[in-house]
Amino acid sequence: MSTSAPNTAVSYPSPNVVAQPTIRATAVSKSYGNTHALNGVDLEVLSGEILGLVGHNGAGKSTLMRLLAGRERPDAGTVRFRDLPVDHSWTGPAAEAAGVRMVYQELALCSDLTVTENAWLSDRRKSSGVGWRRRAERRIIDVLDTVFPGHGIAVIERAGDLPMAQRQMVEIARALCTENLRLLILDEPTESLGVDAADQLYAHLGTLTERGVSVLLISHRMHEVIAHSHRIAVMKDGRVVSVTQAEVTEDELLVAMGGEVRPDAATLDRVVSAESAGPSADTADRSGTRVAAVANSGATQFEAYSGEIIGLAGLAGQGQEELLQKLWAPGTFSRATQVPRHRAYVPGDRQTSGILPLWSVAENLTIAASRAISRFGFVNTRLKRELADHWVSTLKVRGGAKAPITALSGGNQQKVLIARAFAANAELVLLDDPFRGVDVATKNELYALMKAEAALGRSIVWYSTENKEMAHCDRVYVFRAGRIVSELRGSTITEERIIADSFDDRTGEVR
Amino acid sequence: MTTTLPDTTSQNLRRQVSRSRATWPAWGWSLIGVIGVWLCIIAVSSGSPLQPLNQALTLAPYLVLVALGQMLVITLGPGNIDVSVGAIISMTAYVSVAISSSMGPAAGIAAATGAGVAAAACSVIAILVLRVPPIIATLATSLIVASATLLLADANRSGAAPALRDFVNARVAGIPVIAILVALVTVAVAFALRRTTFGLAVIATGQSFKAAGKAGIRVAFVTAVVYLLSGAFAGLAGALLAAFISPSTVLGTSYMLDSIAVVVIGGTLIAGGRPVPIGLWTGAMFFVLLSGLLNLVGWSVGAQNILKGVLVVLVVVISSTATKTGRSTWRRLLEGRRTSTPITKEKTHG
Amino acid sequence: MTSSTITPTLPDARTRLKVTAVHGSPALLSLIAMVVIFAVAVANQPGILSVPGLTLMLMSAVPLVLATQAQMLIMSVGDIDLGIGYLVGFVTVIAATVLQSSPLLGILILGVIVIAYAALGAIIQKRNVPSIIVTLGMSFVWLGLGLQFLPTPGGEAPAWLAAIGRWRPDWVPAPLVFILVATLLGWLIARRSRLGTRMRALGSSPATLEKLGWSLTRTRVLTYVIAAALIIAAGLMLASQTRSGDINSASNFTLMTIAAVILGGGNFSGGRALPLGATLGAVTLGLITVLLSLINLSSSLQSAAQGLIVLAVLAGRVITERAIRS
Repeated sequence: MSTSAPNTAVSYPSPNVVAQPTIRATAVSKSYGNTHALNGVDLEVLSGEILGLVGHNGAGKSTLMRLLAGRERPDAGTVRFRDLPVDHSWTGPAAEAAGVRMVYQELALCSDLTVTENAWLSDRRKSSGVGWRRRAERRIIDVLDTVFPGHGIAVIERAGDLPMAQRQMVEIARALCTENLRLLILDEPTESLGVDAADQLYAHLGTLTERGVSVLLISHRMHEVIAHSHRIAVMKDGRVVSVTQAEVTEDELLVAMGGEVRPDAATLDRVVSAESAGPSADTADRSGTRVAAVANSGATQFEAYSGEIIGLAGLAGQGQEELLQKLWAPGTFSRATQVPRHRAYVPGDRQTSGILPLWSVAENLTIAASRAISRFGFVNTRLKRELADHWVSTLKVRGGAKAPITALSGGNQQKVLIARAFAANAELVLLDDPFRGVDVATKNELYALMKAEAALGRSIVWYSTENKEMAHCDRVYVFRAGRIVSELRGSTITEERIIADSFDDRTGEVR
Repeated sequence: MTTTLPDTTSQNLRRQVSRSRATWPAWGWSLIGVIGVWLCIIAVSSGSPLQPLNQALTLAPYLVLVALGQMLVITLGPGNIDVSVGAIISMTAYVSVAISSSMGPAAGIAAATGAGVAAAACSVIAILVLRVPPIIATLATSLIVASATLLLADANRSGAAPALRDFVNARVAGIPVIAILVALVTVAVAFALRRTTFGLAVIATGQSFKAAGKAGIRVAFVTAVVYLLSGAFAGLAGALLAAFISPSTVLGTSYMLDSIAVVVIGGTLIAGGRPVPIGLWTGAMFFVLLSGLLNLVGWSVGAQNILKGVLVVLVVVISSTATKTGRSTWRRLLEGRRTSTPITKEKTHG
Repeated sequence: MTSSTITPTLPDARTRLKVTAVHGSPALLSLIAMVVIFAVAVANQPGILSVPGLTLMLMSAVPLVLATQAQMLIMSVGDIDLGIGYLVGFVTVIAATVLQSSPLLGILILGVIVIAYAALGAIIQKRNVPSIIVTLGMSFVWLGLGLQFLPTPGGEAPAWLAAIGRWRPDWVPAPLVFILVATLLGWLIARRSRLGTRMRALGSSPATLEKLGWSLTRTRVLTYVIAAALIIAAGLMLASQTRSGDINSASNFTLMTIAAVILGGGNFSGGRALPLGATLGAVTLGLITVLLSLINLSSSLQSAAQGLIVLAVLAGRVITERAIRS
């Protein structure tokens, strides 16, 4: 991949600012377990510019952002701020002191504290003695008034009581409550802001850059990034694949983000089709019965038939998890949802809602399978052992059935959780983005398993943030803003199409 | 990259697996305590070496019985605790005496157990329907039960049935019958925890109620049954204590704290998810023997309490480092959904 | 829209009042319960509506209010103290024995209590152990210490302490003054001080507090130290009223204080601290006891009535919260 960083021929709003880099990342890499979040990224943010950063789920934007803010250390490569020496340890406090501020996508306000108190906690200028509250109040109000005139926030309210948009404003204003701001990192800042507030924010970013402040803007709203950035960096699979001038079209960016043919897609297909040759290979003529349905506020209704793998795609947090939740626990009186009696759930958040940490692989695997291994409430140890051994050998779980679950790698833990769901003999299996941090080899095995299980007549609903996985589905629903915006089948399920549909905020209608 | 990773993980795995095979049992420390205290007693007193153990075996079964219920409750996970057991014991002692005087000892015991379940039902409603945290729910129950105790105490002044009295004092081969029976109950509970779907559901809920829910376990049902069982065990203990000692309004008071201490000392994980039924015996024997020893050497009640308290704190602090249980605040129980999910999700955005 | 940039949008008095009312609304039920109980008491015994009457009625609530403020601080960081009851009892024992005979040693012992609480805070934070079990263990220790110093109730509180208890101005009920001072203290610590902000942040979202560069251990230790000071004050107030020491004199405080904090709008998960609500909860619980004896309810039924009222108020809170949310 070519990484280009043209720092010539960029027109800056204020000519008297010399375009020197505020921060420069050189060949940084970062892995979490088996996931390579960043693969040798070079990026620099120039003084007085807004650098847009775009990319689809898992491209590495958030990781890069945390490295730049000193929250995490790179495994390899360096982060250099202005003229600090290269060996200067770039930690969170060091970044704070140097004037780097970050606005998180996940709001990091203490919901029980008032706006003022939240602002005070993050303000390095520790005012002493009586009247600290009044001064902190004055500061945050000043910033709020400057950036978001007419914001309508009472700063004595608890942050948790504010609507999302106002919380987002507070989060931004809090980062701006400082005297020596040099670099402002914004992660999806306009996600929950209204149009007016977003315009106010961009206007303020403009005045900040005139003062020489650098801004790194991460957003999936293409038109905003194009309209307000000086340069745009596109990330994909842990790399910066291109850095362009702002005069690009949305389509060009979309192509840069995902229009490329995956080199390993063919391998994936081969493995999968070889392992699950048979009835599931043909996706055209399914004649299963409808096992689940959810009435949607949009025009498209969610339906699942037996023997189908259904994908839920789109950007993270657009309503896919809510749908899974509805299917898992529909509530007693909900008529709009039809679900079968036996369901199984594979959570994506392995550590907090997946594994039972004190147990072995076998125990974790069989806990949901009480129907198969017990009679009158008594567990048949032999059946339990056989069931566990069957799945452990089928999926080649490392360490065997007796290993403690926490000794396994993330991928192997995930195998166990998926085996748990299938061992439970459920008609409907729900997968909540289960393959995060799982290596490719394991994924391929699990894809094959899913196809084989679907062929047995189960219905599988699979939410994934990784679009290329969706190629394994029979049908895909693309979500946006809590609604199903399109339904793709068969050959129309392509990464490009999913990306296009999930970014398309002009129509928002079903095509 | 994929060629180097499996090697290290499998090595780790092997190491961890072998370590898990050679683990020191969770009740090991309390057993050492039992033996140590026993040796001390032998050293300072002149009687038969088995005498102190035998004496402890007459007192420990009641504590074990109450602690069985407490253990199940604590195993349910952070925030779960039953502070009503003491009050229930006091009340059911009177219930058993009153019923057995008119309908026979068996009916008395059954009625006492039933009364314990009824009291626990009050806690369960408060916990599940009113969403009151367990400690407050069981406290409120114990207040209500205390009133019932006082009313019952006013109404009858009779003692326990002689048949029951003989029963709790009976011995087979020198070992109290009651100890053998409670040991059998302990074995039954241990078996249920390992081999029944319900027992496994209790343990799974205690490890992570979110994960248990996602694995298809009806967490609310499990919670309800466990608290009812705790009430039943306390009720049964009350009926037996009525015969062993005699009903009084403060009969069960000390059992509230003692049962928790025994559970903790016995090795049951405070954070939930790992019950140790055998540890209840070693813990209870340790407790009973220790107070016997301290009485022997002339320690005051006050000093004994100080030692008890220091022991509990030490055991908790030590076991927390040994098992890496993680923080178990109320938050996890009450608002677990709100916390911690974004941290892991953060990594994949961007 | 842009015109508002000229004057900063400081919240005006009306907004402030409204927001404060919203924040305090969980304590409303407790307030209503208190008013009802008070009204019933007055209807039964009109003599209450006098300075001596109110003094008698509110006296028992003073130590409870102080201890409740301590429990509120500990609960605001997400912990729970199950040792409060016996610690208050232990302080009365110290007050009636050592503090009388050798004041310096007495003060030293009280100082050691504060240090012990600091150590508890550090252990709970550093070792990640559940506060309920640790403080439960400590309650054995306080009980034992109390029995060591004073096996049976007795002793005599120092003269200055007794003088505080005897203070009876005729223009205002003295307990009311103490209760207001305790509430004000709790409010200053939990709601107005910077440390209080950190406490609530620790209970609300420890990860955020740490991310912003604050020491969690220091915050928790300071919380426990202040709580210990308040508990000692509660014990001294109790000793000033009873003029003697009794390790069991406050054993029901442990659970009463927790119930009072919850009644007053606090929660178990931390992050909230409503000093006025906590006081209202404590006074309500204190008044229930007084009222039940006033209306000649048989003494056997009093604790049941207390338990049922606690459950009823908590149920009422749950129902109103659900109604507000939907």
